[in-house]
Amino acid sequence: MKTTLTALACALAAALASAQEFSFDAAEFEKKPLEFSGYVEPKLEQLGLQGDSASYALAYPGQAARSTLWRSTVTLELAAKANLGDWVLDARAQGSQANDALVNRTDDLRVMEGGARYSAGPGLTLDVGKRVQRWGKGYALTTVGFIERPKDATDPTASREGFFMASGDFTRSLDGPISAVSLTGVLLPTDGITNSDFGKSNDLNPAARLYLLAWDTDLDLMWRAAGARPEAFGVDFSRNISSNLELHGEWALQRNATRNVVSPSGVVSSQVTDTRSWLLGLRYLTASEVTWIAEWIHNGAGLSDAELADYNRFLISATAPGAPAALAAKVVTLGQSGMGRANPGQDYLYVKASVSEPLGWVYGSAAVTWMANAQDHSWQLTPELSYTGFNGWDLRARLGWLQGAALSEFGEKTLERKLELTARYSF
Amino acid sequence: MSKLNDLENPMFAFKNIAALTLLMPVLAFSAVDGVALLKKLDRNLEPESYESYRKLINIEPNGNKKEFVLYSVKKGKDKTASLFLQPASDKGRTTLRQGDNMWMYLPSVGKPMRITSLQSVTGGVFNNADIMRLDYAVEYDVASVDESGKLYTLHLKAKTGDVAYDKLTMTVDKKLILPIDIQAYASSGMLLKTLHFKDIKDFGGGIKRPATIETDSPLYKDYKSVMLYSGLKKRDVPDEVFTQGFMARMEELRK
Repeated sequence: MKTTLTALACALAAALASAQEFSFDAAEFEKKPLEFSGYVEPKLEQLGLQGDSASYALAYPGQAARSTLWRSTVTLELAAKANLGDWVLDARAQGSQANDALVNRTDDLRVMEGGARYSAGPGLTLDVGKRVQRWGKGYALTTVGFIERPKDATDPTASREGFFMASGDFTRSLDGPISAVSLTGVLLPTDGITNSDFGKSNDLNPAARLYLLAWDTDLDLMWRAAGARPEAFGVDFSRNISSNLELHGEWALQRNATRNVVSPSGVVSSQVTDTRSWLLGLRYLTASEVTWIAEWIHNGAGLSDAELADYNRFLISATAPGAPAALAAKVVTLGQSGMGRANPGQDYLYVKASVSEPLGWVYGSAAVTWMANAQDHSWQLTPELSYTGFNGWDLRARLGWLQGAALSEFGEKTLERKLELTARYSF
Repeated sequence: MSKLNDLENPMFAFKNIAALTLLMPVLAFSAVDGVALLKKLDRNLEPESYESYRKLINIEPNGNKKEFVLYSVKKGKDKTASLFLQPASDKGRTTLRQGDNMWMYLPSVGKPMRITSLQSVTGGVFNNADIMRLDYAVEYDVASVDESGKLYTLHLKAKTGDVAYDKLTMTVDKKLILPIDIQAYASSGMLLKTLHFKDIKDFGGGIKRPATIETDSPLYKDYKSVMLYSGLKKRDVPDEVFTQGFMARMEELRK
């Protein structure tokens, strides 16, 4: 009897311990009318600089050449959302403080996205506010991002700032090989002040996207009307060929686009032409659980290797000691016209290999990214490690190594190497 | 004695009847309709269309825990979607499955990306197939059924190569028609993980099923994962919920 009572007591204790160890009540996660979230992200970078490059002179005008720079940055992002039945009001703001030996820069909290959304049901929504419309299937870059700011190929998942727009989205599910249809219409007004980064003319800039899930393939047809930017048409697709292989692609046509090239002496030639861009990529998961992402990107509006070399020659002469001030002003103008963007070339190859939990490192991941300008053969290699095992924390360490001949894209960047340590705490 | 005489012999007839009687359990065993049994088990686990909350706990060998909370909806045979509510770093992450098509939406990326069933969205023992599971009868054929005492043992074979686990050995409570243990194997025959179903709970609406699934894996020695169910109830949402465009708005479904 005593033995039975002891066994019962032990069983009861074990059951209680189990119940305490694993308890869960969905009521704890009821939807709240007002939600707040965000993150704080300290980052430490050691930058290896090309102090004698033209891009260095542009980035740090008047500063003596140096080869190393330590920079610390703290980024704060705050988000709020009000759930008001069929209406949702939301805002996401970001600010940062960066310090190094050459620059102390403070970016005050700026609204990256925010607005009001009305849902008449899962199939119909209307939205107005500052939004990011992310079009295209490309991972590193996209050729059909007609109404969004450019992606950063070195950090494609980084959040971006939106444009002020009004949009409507209508979705229907169907039976048969075409199982979903969605139509999105967008108005992105510009008037010289509103969305001035998009364009300065007085236009409504309508755009639309038709999405189909047809024969297990994602298909998009996209269009942007002529306005602050040229008329553009695009199509993209994504499909799983097998359980471990996905193929995707994009094609875009910009009509009557202005294409600028500059001679080494600074003479700018403009040509109005139709430009065609495309992207072909795949995502492949190997038996050893390495995910490969490979993409070939052709940017029809980009600069060929010879044109890019001429642009770099011009930068060198424009930033040389004693160069006329007019040349420096022209550099700024050309930069704003697109030549100064992160990846101004015509053809790129992007390859990323990543593995989750390498060597049994639970919550850890490792990746190596290689991006090359396929015409001038300059490239950037980025190995990285990340870890998400501490509750709320995302830790990341990245190296960047840029290599290329003189006058090539990556050979003329301000940086030639970079070490970056990031710790993001989400709340 | 001729064959005819054998048949006319009462003793011979008795022996044959006795032998048939002894064989009855075997005949009964082979008469178990494995597919019907699996479909019944699917319905006992969940209604065909439902919503639920799940907490996934990954427990490390040193006792440290990492928890994920998901809100999920499923409709019909092949549509399911899940929204991460916890941890804060994953909040808003959404997964969508339509048959063999799977997508993941990360708020920072802002657009759905196609993924495969084998990738892990949480780290640890769980992978996408565990989180976006369809009915067993939709993804598996019943290769054979064993019956012993109070248990059935179902041997299941994946219908296509797209399914994360090629073979399942499922131990089923004969009375409740609910799983007790499931062993999941790769096509190579390697044991990938074992799921233990525990803590049968009445969720209301006629749903009475295990509220806890503990998982261990030889690939994650000394690690353990636990999936806890709460708020499981029948719910029929519009088909448009299971489209890419709705992934960013899945929070709207929660009440």
